[in-house]
Amino acid sequence: MARSCHIIDHPADVGLEAQADSVEELFEALAEGLADIVCPRRTVAARRRRAIRVDSPDIEAAAVDFLSAVLKAMQVDHFMVAAVKVAAATANSVSAELSGEGYDPSRHEIAAEVKGVTYHQLKVARQDGEWYGRVIFDL
Amino acid sequence: MGKAFEGKIEQIDANRWRIPRSNRPDMRVDGIIYSNQALIADTLSGGGVEQVANVATLPGIVAASLAMPDIHWGYGFCIGGVAATDVDAGGVVSPGGVGYDINCGVRLVRSDLPVEDVRKRIKELVDQLFRDLPAGVGVGGPFEFSRAEIAKILEGGSRYLADRGLAEPADLSVTESGGCLEGADAGAVSHEAYRRGADQCGTLGSGNHFAEVQYVEQVYDEQAAGAMGLERGKVTFMIHCGSRGLGHQVCDDYIKSLRSSPAKYGITLPDRQLVCAPADSGEGRQYLGAMRAAANFAWANRQLLLQILRQTLARFFGQSAAAMGLRQVYDVAHNIAKIETHVVDGRKMKLCVHRKGATRAFPPGHAELCDAYRGIGQPVLIPGDMGTASYVLIGAQTAMEQTFGSTCHGAGRVLSRQAAIARARGRRIDQELAAAGIIARARGRTGLAEEQPEAYKDVDAVVDCVHQAGLSHKVARLRPIGVIKG
Repeated sequence: MARSCHIIDHPADVGLEAQADSVEELFEALAEGLADIVCPRRTVAARRRRAIRVDSPDIEAAAVDFLSAVLKAMQVDHFMVAAVKVAAATANSVSAELSGEGYDPSRHEIAAEVKGVTYHQLKVARQDGEWYGRVIFDL
Repeated sequence: MGKAFEGKIEQIDANRWRIPRSNRPDMRVDGIIYSNQALIADTLSGGGVEQVANVATLPGIVAASLAMPDIHWGYGFCIGGVAATDVDAGGVVSPGGVGYDINCGVRLVRSDLPVEDVRKRIKELVDQLFRDLPAGVGVGGPFEFSRAEIAKILEGGSRYLADRGLAEPADLSVTESGGCLEGADAGAVSHEAYRRGADQCGTLGSGNHFAEVQYVEQVYDEQAAGAMGLERGKVTFMIHCGSRGLGHQVCDDYIKSLRSSPAKYGITLPDRQLVCAPADSGEGRQYLGAMRAAANFAWANRQLLLQILRQTLARFFGQSAAAMGLRQVYDVAHNIAKIETHVVDGRKMKLCVHRKGATRAFPPGHAELCDAYRGIGQPVLIPGDMGTASYVLIGAQTAMEQTFGSTCHGAGRVLSRQAAIARARGRRIDQELAAAGIIARARGRTGLAEEQPEAYKDVDAVVDCVHQAGLSHKVARLRPIGVIKG
């Protein structure tokens, strides 16, 4: 499996760029990258699981909706994410399972508060035989 | 990732540049950017200018798509942007024109405390404030509210807190809109937004939000400074924060729920982040109801932080708030959309004025100003970077004529957070600030690095620009001596 994800520099905020063989792996890479920005995954144990499903009008909106759902799990429900497994991702829906645990201030380092997942310079596309994604978060 | 502007731009005068609508067929009005020789190069190399042109395409936009001298790249709309749309002619409201941190704003408190006395105990004072003012990511506050109480905060803002004994009536009169926007709809705020913000009313948060101990370093307008109680050498306190997670979620919810509105209303957008609906449509009214509720939450948030500040200072100095002359000077919103009446081409119009990283700056005599300031104009609070200065200005008539009663909101970033962190590597920002007489404490690992003075534009140049352009006039310069960051 070829999958990569890295942080990209941005004037006011932070973004992620990822490549993967499949769109499912791409969404996993972006979601885990987002989780690392909020609370580094090395501090989180995969004790519980949580299902996510979003329905969206197109693949880019699906990326925003899916990542917003991951963010909501962390920032609304205080469920810290250790790993993300995307079962299926299409232009109109994403089904995934998050592994992680409830927030424990003695072990979890909240590194950043992400206000939202934006459409700015958003890209989700298949190019040169692999899936490419870029997303910017408002910090 | 900021893209330099490649279109046509022409200088109008020493403080204004125009992006003619002839640049693009979809522009309905010109773009006008307030800037000056000290700032224009940074402005043109950022991505904000293209965004000014994008905003000029919105249905119902009136006069021009405007940007203040602290312009920098934002989501959809630039930061420092002002756009007014004609509500009665299908003019739109856009969540991107307000931003994620709805009613992010600034509150200023004056005192009779001489800076020489406070400086002697500044380390101790900053440590105490750092303990008492909840700051940092995900940090809850000492105030607990039930869901029903949060709903009352959403609809009543600081006014509800005054009923609960958590705000002085005098605070409300010196808060923009009295600390409560009419027409807020708590029912338009999602369950997730309630949950995200429930324990955050009365907290600073993180990012560029702060509380500062400052002193009045310079007075430019004795009469206005006198009316505000600002005296050279006396200590002031500034709070900068917004609606926390609740506001972020409201923005997120409505960017999603308005996604289908452009197609429904036949609106073509150059950027999906500009998603919008006619302000006078069901969708527009619902967003405005939720946005106002989040704005009221933000005013309540800053009000509760003021309550904590008063208690801490009274305990620390062993004097009552009254004995120290602690009094709120003003509170301004700088991320908001408001329905206001303005005169455009000699005609009174009901406009939806978006101010995103821009401050209302109403002139002397404006009916919305409280008695204390009707004679001098509305106080405008401009936070600068933590190593330089903040400013107090007053609104002026030119702002009513050119910018729908608006001016700048701060210094504006020039370095990305990553670049700022990289530039701080191997340095101790806290020690550098201490050497300059500023004691700073931050909750997060990278907070001081991200917010270091070099990360921002020169606030003096930004303020000089709006002063010279006549949008607002300088009253006082405030120098920080203590900084609390999230």
